[in-house]
Amino acid sequence: MQVDFELIRRAREGDEAAFGQVVQAYRKRILGTIARLIGRPEDVEDVGQEVFLRLYFSLDQLRTPEMFEPWLYRLTVNAAYDYLRRQRRRPEWRMADLTEQQVLMAEADRSSRRERVEQDRRRLREMVDALLGALSEQDRILLTLKEIEGLSLKELEKIYRVNENALKVRLFRARQRVLKAYGGLAAAGGQAPREQMGG
Amino acid sequence: MSRQEPEAPGGKLAAELSQVFAGYREALPDPEPSADFMPGLWRRIEARQGSARDLRRLARGFVTAAALVSLLIGIFLSLPQGRGSAFYTNTYLEIVAADEAQGDPDDVEMVRIERISYEITR
Repeated sequence: MQVDFELIRRAREGDEAAFGQVVQAYRKRILGTIARLIGRPEDVEDVGQEVFLRLYFSLDQLRTPEMFEPWLYRLTVNAAYDYLRRQRRRPEWRMADLTEQQVLMAEADRSSRRERVEQDRRRLREMVDALLGALSEQDRILLTLKEIEGLSLKELEKIYRVNENALKVRLFRARQRVLKAYGGLAAAGGQAPREQMGG
Repeated sequence: MSRQEPEAPGGKLAAELSQVFAGYREALPDPEPSADFMPGLWRRIEARQGSARDLRRLARGFVTAAALVSLLIGIFLSLPQGRGSAFYTNTYLEIVAADEAQGDPDDVEMVRIERISYEITR
């Protein structure tokens, strides 16, 4: 826990200063999780604010302060899920959508080493985004929480309120699907995608 | 002599995929919230509270209007009605008595016959 139960209790009773402190304690971590769940840095703050907005209006439903973190993660998962569903309905963003000026700027920046690292990272983000795109929004979120966020099955059990075996089955299937997509990328490129990126 | 471990299906790819996920974790570190994060959040909370307040006010107005309409209907129903139809307001006996007083001979006769047959059966 990043804050003490007393602070959460005060926030639950409507103390706005306490609520502000809770947000400040968790916002960076939650924004990081959202960034990795949705893969769109430009929308992270918007989704993050939505999480804390939902927290503000549902905090009185929290029965025990001990359940605060799984509760907050559940709100994060739900907000990310809503965002990903909305995104799926929108046309996908592509490199071709960049303006000419943005392309020229990208070309000019290419020389510097730092930019190359940044470019590798962007490609990695795009690749993981494409791999996770083979999954439903729910499975994408579940796999991200397990494989990328590093949450344990016990923690996931508390967040999803589902038994561990059901989670294991679901995770196994999701991972197999991503593995298949990754194998497809490797076969198409003649070598492992990780090696293609110099990783 | 070294014995080579049999590789699990997709073992190499699975290990690589784990590396990709770890790389993704590093490529997307926890971002620093912008200076507008908290003010923006409070603005959204206030906007939501405002719309909830409007909704509550609307609901309260609706309840008041419904109560007023119920009261008016109650008052209207409790007012003494004018001379309505005797069929709905009088009792059965009153209607029979009124008919008898009007002197319809057929009906009167029939009633008498019924009374007589009733006494015979007793």
